[in-house]
Amino acid sequence: MASAITVVIDGKEIVTQPGKTIIQAAMDSGLYIPYLCYYPGMKPFGACRMCVVEVENARGTPASCTTPVADGMVVHTNTPQIQDLRKGITELIISEHPHGCLTCHRTNLYGADLCGPEDICQRHVSVTDRCVACPKNERCELKDTTIYVGTGLTTPLTYKYRELPVVTQDPFYDMDYNLCIVCGRCVRACEELRGDSAITFTERSGISLVGPSQGGSLLESGCEFCGSCIDVCPVGALVESSFKWEKAVDTVSTTCPHCPVGCQLKLEVNRRGRVIRAIPDLEAEANRGQACFKGKFGLEFVNSRSRLRNPLIRRDGVLEQASWEEAISLVAEKLAEYKGDSFAAIASYRGTNEESYLVQKFARTVMGTNNVDHASNLKPELARPLQDALGFQAATNPVWDLDNASCILTVSANVTEEHNVAAVPVKRAVQNGAKLVVIDPREVELTRYATVWVRPRPGTEGTVIAGMLKVISDEVLENQDFLRDRCENLDGLRNSLWRFDISRVATVTGVPEDDIRAAARTFAGSGPGAILYALDTVPASERTACVEAIIDLALLTGSVGSPHTGLYPLRPGTNDQGSWDLGCVPDLLPGYLPVGDADARSVISEAWGSELPSGAGMGILDAFEAAADGRVKAMMVIGDSASYHSGEMGDVFAAAGNLEFLVVQDTFLTGLAQAADVVLPSGTFAEKEGTYTSLERRVQPLRKVLEVRNSNAMPDWWIVCEIAKAMNAQGFDYHCPAQILDEISRVVPLYAGVSYQRLLARESVLQPAVMPAYPLPSQLLPATGGQNTGIQWPCDSTDDDGTSILYRDEFHAGKAHFIPLEMREAPALPTTDDFPLLLLPGRVLHQSEREMEITLVGQKNLIQREEMLCIHPSDASTLGVGEGDAVEVVSARDSIRARASLSEQALPGTVSVTTLFGSLMTQLESSEDPDAMSHVPGLPPTPVRLAKA
Amino acid sequence: MASGDSLRERIDGALAGQSARTVTVLSSLLAIEDELGYIPPPAIEQVARHTGSTINDVWGVASFYTNFRFTPPGEHVVELCWGPTCHLLGAQQIIQAALQALGLSEEGDTSDGKISLKYNTCLGACSQGPVISVDHKVVGPQSLGITGGDAMSEHVAELVSRLRNGSS
Repeated sequence: MASAITVVIDGKEIVTQPGKTIIQAAMDSGLYIPYLCYYPGMKPFGACRMCVVEVENARGTPASCTTPVADGMVVHTNTPQIQDLRKGITELIISEHPHGCLTCHRTNLYGADLCGPEDICQRHVSVTDRCVACPKNERCELKDTTIYVGTGLTTPLTYKYRELPVVTQDPFYDMDYNLCIVCGRCVRACEELRGDSAITFTERSGISLVGPSQGGSLLESGCEFCGSCIDVCPVGALVESSFKWEKAVDTVSTTCPHCPVGCQLKLEVNRRGRVIRAIPDLEAEANRGQACFKGKFGLEFVNSRSRLRNPLIRRDGVLEQASWEEAISLVAEKLAEYKGDSFAAIASYRGTNEESYLVQKFARTVMGTNNVDHASNLKPELARPLQDALGFQAATNPVWDLDNASCILTVSANVTEEHNVAAVPVKRAVQNGAKLVVIDPREVELTRYATVWVRPRPGTEGTVIAGMLKVISDEVLENQDFLRDRCENLDGLRNSLWRFDISRVATVTGVPEDDIRAAARTFAGSGPGAILYALDTVPASERTACVEAIIDLALLTGSVGSPHTGLYPLRPGTNDQGSWDLGCVPDLLPGYLPVGDADARSVISEAWGSELPSGAGMGILDAFEAAADGRVKAMMVIGDSASYHSGEMGDVFAAAGNLEFLVVQDTFLTGLAQAADVVLPSGTFAEKEGTYTSLERRVQPLRKVLEVRNSNAMPDWWIVCEIAKAMNAQGFDYHCPAQILDEISRVVPLYAGVSYQRLLARESVLQPAVMPAYPLPSQLLPATGGQNTGIQWPCDSTDDDGTSILYRDEFHAGKAHFIPLEMREAPALPTTDDFPLLLLPGRVLHQSEREMEITLVGQKNLIQREEMLCIHPSDASTLGVGEGDAVEVVSARDSIRARASLSEQALPGTVSVTTLFGSLMTQLESSEDPDAMSHVPGLPPTPVRLAKA
Repeated sequence: MASGDSLRERIDGALAGQSARTVTVLSSLLAIEDELGYIPPPAIEQVARHTGSTINDVWGVASFYTNFRFTPPGEHVVELCWGPTCHLLGAQQIIQAALQALGLSEEGDTSDGKISLKYNTCLGACSQGPVISVDHKVVGPQSLGITGGDAMSEHVAELVSRLRNGSS
């Protein structure tokens, strides 16, 4: 860290660091300099000149956003000359920007009343220029800045309206370039913050604007619909199309319910109590101002009219409305008949920590069974081997550590879709020169960025990694210091590696030898790296071996225990990490205590004052199987999950139909709810308090954004408590989630220092700047102080700030233990006689080598493209398919039409189709499903058959 | 389809044929404009792939320069210099004469697609002014063996009419 320097700004002495710009130094100390093109986190740009200042003994009036501070610098931000310049600048800007809002006496300058929608504008202002024609009316940075600068209410320059059509054809976005001031924040956000470059500056000088290539659609430009450009737009040019004209009366910060990255979002609520917008928190350590299509545009389900409003009880085969008392007492009475292992409870993948904890406590203490799991736990092997080898079943480093990684490996992970914001630092790292190795049979967005893309036969991903280990070992590319100081059993690993002869690995995996060597050299040769893995294409039988190989690779290259390295198991569910931590799994009690261990049981049983079952419990996969064959007779299921619909668990709905008693807690009448005997309406994430634990072990609060309206829905924690109390259970007398968290912090040592009050105290302090002259409601002034960080476990006490990086000094057992590997044959592809080929679906933002056409269907843009089916010539000749033939790819669920393309590179027995992200966006936008964003199909390998079309 | 393929091939040929050691988005666009006389839509994709940038970045560069055109030019490209020297030597007269002869009101393409007329800020041949260029060849009083702006105007009007009627 460079030594501090002192600058004087407007007579105030400010201690700051070299390398900062004047505007940053000023803002850090709470001084405001007006700006438009500047944005925290972006590189200096200097386009708008609004932030000009005077620097003593320097020539001219430099822009404070591009001028670095120097020791002893004396800066004046508000001299008459500067004020004059700024007025000139705003006059120029508003000469091309509709500004009727500035000239009206009713404008909200000093708290005057605004016009309502029924009022008639009585001024001489054309319709296009009226304040009500701007979606950012009263939340416009340009307007506030203009008023702050003190420009007269109009411009002396000739005003020109550009008369450009408003673009509304793309999903989720509305673009009115008549309002654009070409500050370039959106273009820079897309390029610098996201690494996408989906929009650019077009044309030049007076007619310069922003937009996609050739004036086209965002669907074809490589846009990932993250909304980052909307979030940074200072005017009304880029806005969300839904609730575009709505004004917020309240803004509450909470945690996104869609995936385990744990993005902090500021939700805006209108006066009718609807969530109208989500704005990612700039100061949150989990997402650093970023969100994705799900968080930005997928929260509309909270406002849905099709939400359940009352409990339902099945009478004579029909679900009928009932009161809470009736429903709870019926559930209590029925469940009492199924105590023991004929009952199973499945918690929601987006349940809070408190709810997951309660569900397992309920199953174990009230129902006397270990049959408890969470809905998204279909890959329980994902993090389990980490515990024995290293210490904890969790990611070792924070997600944004990837930003500065020198090398990143992803293993069968569709990060851009499933954990979108975690892909942002990956892309940024690659842009800054990091190497990226992608091991995935599917073509996913990150394969475009890959230095090496290894495409193994599905199920042999672990063998590829073992092959890489062999190359690293043979070529002495290991991290010697790390091996000596921090690892043991290297011989055990080495003795097992002789089996992984590279030519044999190549035969088993279908990956050319040179590709395996290149992957190994790239990863090991770039210094310690980071490994992200989801194992989407790895069958259950191979997962443990694959994770073990990943751990060995991390150890051999020294990629654990230091910044910008680490292991990231990418679990699918929003709060999977929390559910594991708190024992909402069949084999572990809260705090990873094994159910089978009598000592461990007695610790928990003492804390709860209740006996605990010792038998092995059933997880979600076993439970539905047992429901199908009658071993499980009653179930409690909370929330819907994509896993119920994907077919991965077989026919869940048929199994549910086989139950004697099913109680479902859900927000909508979903597939499982329709099969239930009692349906209990749950509130959404936005209507309750609690905490989520993100994939980086970050415990973050959910805040109550709004009250449940016109509905008797209740939060899931309340429902579980009421059922337990109706069954005369002790230990469920909680009046709020914070109280449950207090109990968790007593029972689970990892959470010892976590409390709701502590988490709330770490809320973002990014507050509207309060200026003596004029309060700027829309332009934010990042003040010094705390950050919205949550707390990363382990957190030992209330004085402990948590643990950002695990194993910095030592592993659980002192040294990390290498796991010897077994050479495994390639598992059979999960195909059937009816569907003999395995489809490896791919999805990318943009495919430059393929033509596409955008057509307007109704009011919306749609991608028209013939998909290409990539097939191995041997399979093609068996099926009699020739190059260019039209084929239909039929799975058990749907079918796609495509044109065959024969390629030696395709894996025999598999076919692949790569679709575009843009098509997914149109599908999601037009979906009838009120919560479509939580049912994004992902890219599971699917058995198919081909038919000639 | 066949012509589309050959268009892509010609673009690829132009991209591959760049001899300069610094191949950039701009040099690639120039190579295509030299080869085809314009930047057709697929060229944006191909340049992006060739230079490792995105289509949007390429479009940002291409649309910035007014000398790139995105529609096929006429059979002949006539550029009229209106730089300071030519202006003083009678360029305005020449421009009016050419526009009148072609029935145009400003620079652009004739409706039959025969001629693309462009103003040029300087053709770099001030000593020979007033000059025009026909298909990138400079034509001026010297090369025509005449003197003065008036004679030049007549010649230009005649020249563009002849070009348009197919004899050159």
